[in-house]
Amino acid sequence: MSAARRVQQWATFGRMWYLYDGKWQNPLESADKIVPYLDGSHKPIFHPLNDSGDHVVVINSRDIALPGDEWEKRVYFHHTGYAGGATWTLAWQLHEADPTMIIRKTVYNKLSKNLLRRGRLARLHIFPDDKVPDSILKNVSAQMRQLRPVPRRLDHYPQEELENFPKIFDWPKDHVIN
Amino acid sequence: MLGRVIGTFLPRLLPATHSTLATYPPHASALLRPLHTSHSRCLKEIVVEEQEGGDTVVKGQYLPSPNAHLLVKPDGEAGKACPLCALDLDVKHTDVLILSQFMRSDGSVLPRRVTGLCSKQQRRITWLVIMAQKAGLMPNLAPATSKRDPSRRYGSKKFNRYFDENTLPK
Ligand SMILES: [Zn+2]
Repeated sequence: MSAARRVQQWATFGRMWYLYDGKWQNPLESADKIVPYLDGSHKPIFHPLNDSGDHVVVINSRDIALPGDEWEKRVYFHHTGYAGGATWTLAWQLHEADPTMIIRKTVYNKLSKNLLRRGRLARLHIFPDDKVPDSILKNVSAQMRQLRPVPRRLDHYPQEELENFPKIFDWPKDHVIN
Repeated sequence: MLGRVIGTFLPRLLPATHSTLATYPPHASALLRPLHTSHSRCLKEIVVEEQEGGDTVVKGQYLPSPNAHLLVKPDGEAGKACPLCALDLDVKHTDVLILSQFMRSDGSVLPRRVTGLCSKQQRRITWLVIMAQKAGLMPNLAPATSKRDPSRRYGSKKFNRYFDENTLPK
């Protein structure tokens, strides 16, 4: 086996570290994308007995977006085991308490239900903002594409672009601009 | 007094009016005030002053729209439809550069009398503006008492959200 083929063999079985920016991303759609990376099923060498999962570093998890009124309608259930120990927490309340929890719970629920689940979840690293420790960032060698475009706010356009954008209609002659 | 009136009813070209008014001495405001009250809607047009052999002529004059050269005008049969139908645009709630053209600075939507849209498109634009405002994409077009910054909103409203245009009423 030549040196190049030998290195290719190492690289094939090596663990990759992927960066994923959660800004304006739906956590449920994102989990569908992240889960195959964690359990390794995105690789052609995948086998259930083959430990080939990769690491995923999710940044800006505080800026995830939910569609419509899902912040108010999505409910997370917990039971302490004691009588009357049931709690129902709305998504926005959970997100306010811990901005990494919604992504972690969503990915956990989408991972296959076996003894490997906890170990695979441990390869998911979630950060509320873009401040990632160097010990983690130094491993990152690839980036996952975002699933939906990040919208741009009107006050973030430069004034020149606002003024020179094509206009759909013109005001009536006596229109008072305000 | 005069400054307050100007602030309430902005003319089509505010800078030009300001420069015109800036040339008046302070005591001239007494002369100017009846001029504004004589117009029912105050400053719709710019006031110009001309000297003709010692006479002072003050007259109102419509100015050309600053957007005239930016207007997208489809020609032929399509030009007869309303502006949005004619262009056949699939406007999303994230297209704030388009939506802001149909709005006032306080975030309200201009009436059909001004926009010239058909009722279908006017209703769609109104919904899209609501979506964009709830998503916090136009915080600068808001009432004066607004907090502006979407991250300072109350409760669940401070978090990012997006909308599906397919949920709009037909
Ligand atoms: Zn129309």
